Amino acid sequence: MDLDLKVRRQGDYAVLEVAGEIDVYTAPKLREKLIELVNEGSYHLVVDLEKVDFLDSTGLGVLVGGLKRVRNHEGSLKLVCTQDKILKIFRITGLTKVFPIHDSVDDAIAGSGGGQ
Amino acid sequence: MTRSRDRAAANSPVVHKEVGDTAVGNTTVRLAFPPQARLLGTIRLVVGIVARKAGIDEEGIEDLKVAVSETCAVAVADLARAGLDSPIELDLIEDGERFGVEVRDRAPVDGRSVGGFDMEDLDDRQFGLALVGALVDDLDSAPLEGGGHRTSFWLRAAIGTTD
Repeated sequence: MDLDLKVRRQGDYAVLEVAGEIDVYTAPKLREKLIELVNEGSYHLVVDLEKVDFLDSTGLGVLVGGLKRVRNHEGSLKLVCTQDKILKIFRITGLTKVFPIHDSVDDAIAGSGGGQ
Repeated sequence: MTRSRDRAAANSPVVHKEVGDTAVGNTTVRLAFPPQARLLGTIRLVVGIVARKAGIDEEGIEDLKVAVSETCAVAVADLARAGLDSPIELDLIEDGERFGVEVRDRAPVDGRSVGGFDMEDLDDRQFGLALVGALVDDLDSAPLEGGGHRTSFWLRAAIGTTD
């Protein structure tokens, strides 16, 4: 089990594509990457969760931490996810009200297509 | 029916035993594994296989994987805080129309909240258990005689009620 993280630039956004399972074992790697991006000055982030097979409460905590960091710089953190099993975790924890969740990276960057 | 996989377990950190059917038809798969976070992915795989064989639908399987992983992660963290490496035991129980889980650990922690989401008061551990409580029924955590905890819950969906 591993977590694969890839960063690319698209417009004003850093797009972080996450693949694999986000749990208590792998979440620190995601946390480090989010901190690294913010420290580099990337304050507008899109985290693409389409290739994430599993997400637990630790992963949610890391994403919330990332959101707080970018907001400290008046930035944004948008999520891309269409998988029901992952969306369910956001819904039952109430975090759909905290994160803008979009259907695609393009929609996230355009600021439309959300409202999961 | 009783199958033991002790030989395979000798080369694996996860011990997997199917401990058998009882007179009332229960089937329990019992696992014991060291409290290491890196093993949680393996545990989820086993849970997925057992639940699928039991006829649980895909949504139920995903709920179970999250619930078991969160519960075991709490045990891993508590045991690490206590400096213990005693194994965590996991039972996966087919009980007629229901599917249950019991997790036992020997971490000397006082009580575990199994309440809902009160974001202001939740620490990481409570947040994980609150997530479990939102996914499954009858979540219960009780102290074990001699120290530790037994956390149990049942999957909401009955076996065989969905495609």
